[in-house]
Amino acid sequence: MNHAVEINNLTKNYNQIQALKSITLSVPVGAIYGLIGPNGAGKTTLIKALVGSIKPSSGYINILGLNPLTDKWALRRKIGYMPQSASLYEDLTAKENILFFGKAQKVENIKQKTDEVLHFVELSERANDLVRNFSGGMKKRVSLCCALIHQPKILFLDEPTAAIDPHLKLQSWNLFRKLANSGVTLFISTHLMDEALLCDKVTILMNGEIIAVDTPQKLIERGKTVITYKDGGAIKTSTIPSTPEGLANELLKLGLKPTITEVSTKPDTIENIVLNIIGIKQNLKSNT
Amino acid sequence: MKTFILANRVLKQLKGDKRLLMLSIIAPLIIIYFLKLLFDAFPPNVPITNFTIPIGALVVHFLSFLLCAILLVQERTKGTLERMLIGGYNRSSIIAGYTLGYLGLATIQASAVLIESVWLFDLNYSANVLMLLFLVIWLLAVVSVMLGIFVSTFARHEGHVFPFIPLLILPSIFLSGLLINTDALPQWAAFIGKCLPLHYAVNIIHEIIQPTFSLSETYFDFAILGSYIFILWLFASFSLRETE
Ligand SMILES: Nc1ncnc2c1ncn2[C@@H]1O[C@H](COP(=O)(O)OP(=O)(O)O)[C@@H](O)[C@H]1O
Ligand SMILES: [Mg+2]
Repeated sequence: MNHAVEINNLTKNYNQIQALKSITLSVPVGAIYGLIGPNGAGKTTLIKALVGSIKPSSGYINILGLNPLTDKWALRRKIGYMPQSASLYEDLTAKENILFFGKAQKVENIKQKTDEVLHFVELSERANDLVRNFSGGMKKRVSLCCALIHQPKILFLDEPTAAIDPHLKLQSWNLFRKLANSGVTLFISTHLMDEALLCDKVTILMNGEIIAVDTPQKLIERGKTVITYKDGGAIKTSTIPSTPEGLANELLKLGLKPTITEVSTKPDTIENIVLNIIGIKQNLKSNT
Repeated sequence: MKTFILANRVLKQLKGDKRLLMLSIIAPLIIIYFLKLLFDAFPPNVPITNFTIPIGALVVHFLSFLLCAILLVQERTKGTLERMLIGGYNRSSIIAGYTLGYLGLATIQASAVLIESVWLFDLNYSANVLMLLFLVIWLLAVVSVMLGIFVSTFARHEGHVFPFIPLLILPSIFLSGLLINTDALPQWAAFIGKCLPLHYAVNIIHEIIQPTFSLSETYFDFAILGSYIFILWLFASFSLRETE
């Protein structure tokens, strides 16, 4: 498969702190790749290393065949970066902010493109208002526009949905999916575990280490499903793996006895599963 | 090209921040007015004209330095500096753009200070002299902007700029020749004085406000101011890092 991003044995140390420990991963072209981990896991550090804003301590990064440090200029046209903080000029309007960052990339028909991206994030009406007066969610959307204006092939988004309301969060993910469908590769970090389900592939990062790489479906299957059923008046439960076969097998075992009147299943939430994975790793660590 | 886009943005930003803009233009005017009140209370034989324009220059010097340093530190803390660097602005266009943008403000400050001083103190300088005075203050403002950029690279937040104020400004007031001739100071103090850009600006101003002056006397000082700009520009470009 074609890879947009390849990382090999990447480490980054800040004095005593090992922010990234031997990270190896690859991102398929056109995918939404989720980087999931709690605060301080190293998500921002990894994204900054990918966009060439910090120098790794060791390791190798390849983005669309280019090296972020030595091929800086060629790469900047192809990548879009949305930092964790809004990173906008509060004294300028939404439009002026987007134009300012777009002009550095020599975007053609920049006025029209600006209108288009503003329309895309549904902010056309507020185009000429000062960013100072925007809500957190609106700033995030303007920030996304600044990252999008030059139509990059890869987008690096650092916690684009943190601290915004659920409705806007859903809307944002719709936008991300639209972008992915148009061929853009998205590398998105988040500390919200449930967003794993919206990605094509996720990496779980913890204390600077990758502790799991999987598709959301496979992650779900790592969980358990609790089946509750009423058998002749008695409520019984059994716990099975959350795989399609697991459920089929269990139902087969129970058989459709006439005494069983009610059956309900409750699979682990993705949040629990991820937290479990993180917890297991931590326990292993403290035991050794 | 990118330099102009950046300069344009800095100006827009200054225009957008009305409080900052008013402060940076009104503050020098008020200081000059207080100076007038102070000098009016002096005995008549004090040569106040020796002090007025140099103090005006100091005020512009100080404010340009402070504003530029703070605005750039804000770019760092807000993340816009990183975004600029990753978004295709290189450091030379950032430095040039900032300088150009600030010169817009410095031009207004320098004109305001000059006009007010001439008017309040009844200075009747020729058009030539006024042009030269303007040029000196303006060059000093470029030095200040470079200094601001340089200092901002050591600061992780706005508060880090403040220790540089006494470091730069206090020696400028007392040792640069603004109040007393540098040669009258102890050798070490005179040496510090001669390291300060304000010293050379004051030298030029003192020369050209004499009834008869020779321009060639100022060449050396102008050259030093120019070298300051060049050297600080080098320092600023080396200290403004693209990757951490
Ligand atoms: N500039 C820095 N200097 C020192 N330590 C840092 C720096 N940036 C990040 N760290 C440390 O690296 C670790 C990872 O941080 P970060 O990448 O910001 O995590 P996340 O984005 O996942 O919340 C943290 O322990 C943090 O304290
Ligand atoms: Mg982060």
